[in-house]
Amino acid sequence: MAKILGIDLGTTNSAMAVVEIGQPRILENKEGMRTTPSIVAIGKNGERYIGVTAKRQAVTNPANTIFSVKRLIGRRYDDAEVQRDKALLPYEIRKGSSGDVEVKLGNEWKKPAEISAMILQKLKADAEDKLGEKITEAIITVPAYFDDAQRKATKDAGEIAGLTVKRVINEPTAAALAYGFNKKKDEKIVVYDFGGGTFDISVLEVSEDTIEVKATGGDTHLGGDDIDQRIIQHFISEFKKESGMDVSKDQLVVQRLKDAAEKAKHELSSTLQTEVNIPFLTADSFGPKHFTMSFTRAKLEELVRDLVGKSIELTKKTVQEAGLKMSDIHEVVMVGGQTRMPLIVEEVKKLFGKEPHKDINPDEVVALGAAVQGGIMQGDIRDVLLLDVTPLSLGIETLGGVMTKMLEKNTTVPVSKSQIFSTAADNQPSVEIHVLQGERAMATDNKTLGRFILDGIPPSPRGGPQIEVSFDIDANGILNVKAKDKATGKEQSVRIEGSSGLSDEEKKRMTADAEKFAAEDAKKKELAEARNMGETLAYTTEKMVKDNESKIKDDDKKELNAKMEKVRKAVKGDNVDEIKKATEELSKSAQRIGGELYKQTNNSQPTTNNAEKTEEKSESEAKS
Amino acid sequence: MTEENNKKEEPKQQTAEEKTEEYLNNWKRERADFLNYKKDEARRVEEFVKFANKDLILEMIELVDDLEIASKEVPGVGLEQVTKKFQDLFKKYGVERIKMGNKLEPAIHEVIETEPGGNKMKEVRAGYTMRSKIIRPVRVRIIK
Repeated sequence: MAKILGIDLGTTNSAMAVVEIGQPRILENKEGMRTTPSIVAIGKNGERYIGVTAKRQAVTNPANTIFSVKRLIGRRYDDAEVQRDKALLPYEIRKGSSGDVEVKLGNEWKKPAEISAMILQKLKADAEDKLGEKITEAIITVPAYFDDAQRKATKDAGEIAGLTVKRVINEPTAAALAYGFNKKKDEKIVVYDFGGGTFDISVLEVSEDTIEVKATGGDTHLGGDDIDQRIIQHFISEFKKESGMDVSKDQLVVQRLKDAAEKAKHELSSTLQTEVNIPFLTADSFGPKHFTMSFTRAKLEELVRDLVGKSIELTKKTVQEAGLKMSDIHEVVMVGGQTRMPLIVEEVKKLFGKEPHKDINPDEVVALGAAVQGGIMQGDIRDVLLLDVTPLSLGIETLGGVMTKMLEKNTTVPVSKSQIFSTAADNQPSVEIHVLQGERAMATDNKTLGRFILDGIPPSPRGGPQIEVSFDIDANGILNVKAKDKATGKEQSVRIEGSSGLSDEEKKRMTADAEKFAAEDAKKKELAEARNMGETLAYTTEKMVKDNESKIKDDDKKELNAKMEKVRKAVKGDNVDEIKKATEELSKSAQRIGGELYKQTNNSQPTTNNAEKTEEKSESEAKS
Repeated sequence: MTEENNKKEEPKQQTAEEKTEEYLNNWKRERADFLNYKKDEARRVEEFVKFANKDLILEMIELVDDLEIASKEVPGVGLEQVTKKFQDLFKKYGVERIKMGNKLEPAIHEVIETEPGGNKMKEVRAGYTMRSKIIRPVRVRIIK
């Protein structure tokens, strides 16, 4: 079935996504980028540039480089917005015959929808290239405040580009869809969208099967670009203070400062301080001038606090216009790259008293949501299969009381997995399978789901028997744990119903515990593992001594016995370092003596036993 | 138009056979989706591995930019050799400097300033390709 392309046709950048196996995924463009500048240009020789190539030549070809056409689409030429923007746009616009706007591109006058169509055409072609299949249908997003004419014009743009526009949906609605909030009945959602050049705020209400826009607000000329400008201005004035030189007119210098500003802004989203370091920024008669300064998050926040404050005021106003109180809002969704700024997250959190959702890349969330809408529409034809995941890890207890995980937390079910275990002692007649659930390292700290014993294991040295333990969870969440002795074919199993039947609190507590005790658990596990290693080595060394009674010198035997004794004493205690030291010393001696033994019996033949074992193994594997 | 699409069809009685058929088809589809996804994923991983160093390389290129400016300002103190060493290292990882050329091609050039009446290009910051893909365009000024 052909895929429906979800398109976020933005003012500055656009993005696209498709649903694959029930999950939306961003498609990269031909240049390998996840977003495409919404810019179209005609070069001097009539060649057409779209996206990043158009952006790169904009400076040298401003009159024929069309950006921000979204500000004009579907509007009347006499609109106050258009008149205001006209002064800011370096390309020519005029009043069309029906009172709409026309844009001059090359020698032709085009409708804004035709310009948008060129962007959509590129996205379509790049998507087809990426997917290797034809794309004919799309969902396109528009701001919630777009009127019918603007929506119609956006739809037209899609059709001109050769796409059947299945639906034009609101950007905030798409963001909510990406988070799956369409299932949250009767909830009120605020979408805070701080983009590159525009700030939009929307209040949504989710009812039975629709998402309704209750109110919209914002500022069409407030965005991340304003923040960048503030940083660049700050750099310029700092440099002036330091060197006395005004570099604001030197485009090359400003460009380097701009690069540094962008980089610093990104870094300060995750660190508290960064170093701006631009050697040879410029020069005067005394020689080259470098620019070095430390730039803190606190300083950045001081520079832009009023811009962020403005967005918060607008948010308050819009929520009030929807007839709601801040406390009525159930979810807050962050959209737009600028929302990565910790100050913004903090202020929004303060306003609503709850953590905003920002797990999905804010540059991509709208396109992903558009793809989800496409997926829902295709779901009319083919039911979407919803699959559960295991809420916590499942495993069994192994030597030393360690929990050995078989199925990690968040594994999609149905699923089955098996692993081979063995015995811990010579001639061990049975093994106990202790089924556990939880994230802690030690068995006792996890929840016991069940236990059973597999007996009748034929006498054999430790580590010899092959016990295959398999975990199987079916589509109904029923867990089946089976243990099978590969030599005898004997098996035992337990069926555990409702293995995921934990309350949310229980799940949360168990996960939180795992985090809280992570360091402590790691220590306990290290101890158990060190003990296991020490015991195993003492055991194999003892066996070596017994098997080669006559070949080992008495002095060596004495040495090994003393060191074995030391290891066995150490494993009874709980000093990890002591156990490790004793084990290492024994290992050194055992290796030296073993090496000598090997030299003595250099020409011994491989036993036929091995061959039999392999055959048996492959047979039983084929059966399972 | 969309409203029409939304109208639910009358629920009709499905026979067991039809249901089996439907389930089997869905299962086949799911299998096919999964296998195709695996193939796509393998391709993506391959691509990812090829360009895994890209971010680190891009940051290193910035250091080379500084070195190049420095060696122009202070020639003959060995900075050229250091730059050369970096370029050789880049080559080893499939990263090459783009030759500027003399005709403006926005696929490889980024214009940051234009002199009125200018028609020649001057490189102000080098561009690079990685395994033949442009990872940074050449920054140019258009001059007279």
